[in-house]
Amino acid sequence: MDTPETPDSELVSRTQAGDARAFDELVVRFSPRLYGLVYNMTASHEDTNDLLQDIFAKAYRSIKGFQGKSAFYTWMHTIAVNMTINFLKKRNRRKTMSLDDVDSGILSDPDFIKATSHGDPSQDANLVELQKKLNESMLKLSHEHRAVVTMFDIQGMPHAEIAKILKISEGTVRSRLFYAHRQLQNHLQEFMKH
Amino acid sequence: MDSEESISKLLRLKRYEQPRPDYFEDFLAEFQLRQRAEVIHRPFWNIAWDRFSSLFSPLPSMRLVAASSFAAAVIATGVTLNWSSQEAKTSPATWNLSSAAQTRLESAPSPFTAPKKRVSSLQYVLPTRPTGYASARSF
Repeated sequence: MDTPETPDSELVSRTQAGDARAFDELVVRFSPRLYGLVYNMTASHEDTNDLLQDIFAKAYRSIKGFQGKSAFYTWMHTIAVNMTINFLKKRNRRKTMSLDDVDSGILSDPDFIKATSHGDPSQDANLVELQKKLNESMLKLSHEHRAVVTMFDIQGMPHAEIAKILKISEGTVRSRLFYAHRQLQNHLQEFMKH
Repeated sequence: MDSEESISKLLRLKRYEQPRPDYFEDFLAEFQLRQRAEVIHRPFWNIAWDRFSSLFSPLPSMRLVAASSFAAAVIATGVTLNWSSQEAKTSPATWNLSSAAQTRLESAPSPFTAPKKRVSSLQYVLPTRPTGYASARSF
C-alpha cells in the first residue's frame, strides 16, 4: 500500500523550521509543473533551467515569510510568473528558441493527426513544422498574454486559479485569453482549416 | 468546430514537449550544489537582509519600515567604523601614547628570561662559607 503524500503545508512548516530536505521534496514535487510554465513562456530550455534554479532559490530564501494565506502552489506560481516576466522584459527582442524534444505520444494524438493531415504526409516533418509554428506564435504574444495562455490552455488551470496567481480578476483573465486566442488564430490558420 | 476550441486543442499539443527523462533528477542535484555555493559566496549583509526582511514580509508597509531601519543600521555601522578608523589614524595623542607604551614594553626586561650576568657567573663549587652565614662585620 502506498503511503499518502505529505501535504505541502507540512513540508513548508518543516522547511521554515530549518529542514532543507523538506524543501528538496517541494522542489521534486513542483519542478515539472513550473518547468512547463517557464518553458512555454520562454521557448528556451537553457533559459528555463537557469530561471527555474533562481525561482526555487528565491522561494527558499523567502519561505519564512510565507504565512499560508494562499496555497503554497499559488505562491510558487506567482514567484515563477513574476520572475519569468521580469526575465523576458530584460531579454527583450532576443527570441532564439531552444526547444525540448516532443514526446512520441503526440503522433497518436487525434488532435495532432487532425491538425497535420492537410500537408506533408510525413508525420515527422509535420511535427517539426507544428512545433516551430506553435512556439513562434506564442512568442508573438505579450508576456502577460503568454502567461495566461500557458496556464489555461497548456497547463489546464482554471480561470480562478490563474486570477489568484496573477492577482487580477477572473474577467481580466477571460479577456486576455480571448484576445490572445484571436492573435494565435491568425498565426496558426494553416493548422485550423478543418 | 468553434475556433476557440480548436486553438485550445492545438495549444494543448505543446504538453508533449518535454525535457529528457532524467532532467528533473539532475535539476535537484544542481539546485543543492548552487544552494551550497550561494551560502559560501553570499555577502554577509545580503544574508542578514534576507533574514531581517523575512520577518516583515507579510505586510508591505512593515517591509518598508524594515528596509528603512536596515539601511539606517548599515549606514550607522559604516559611519561609526569609518570614524573610529579615521580617529585611530590621525589622532597624535593616541599615537604617542601607544608608541610610548610600545617603547616601554620593548625596553623592559622580560620576566621569563634569565639575566645574562647570572648565567656567566654560574658556580658549581660551593663557597667555603655559605653567604647566609656571613657576619655583617666580616671583610
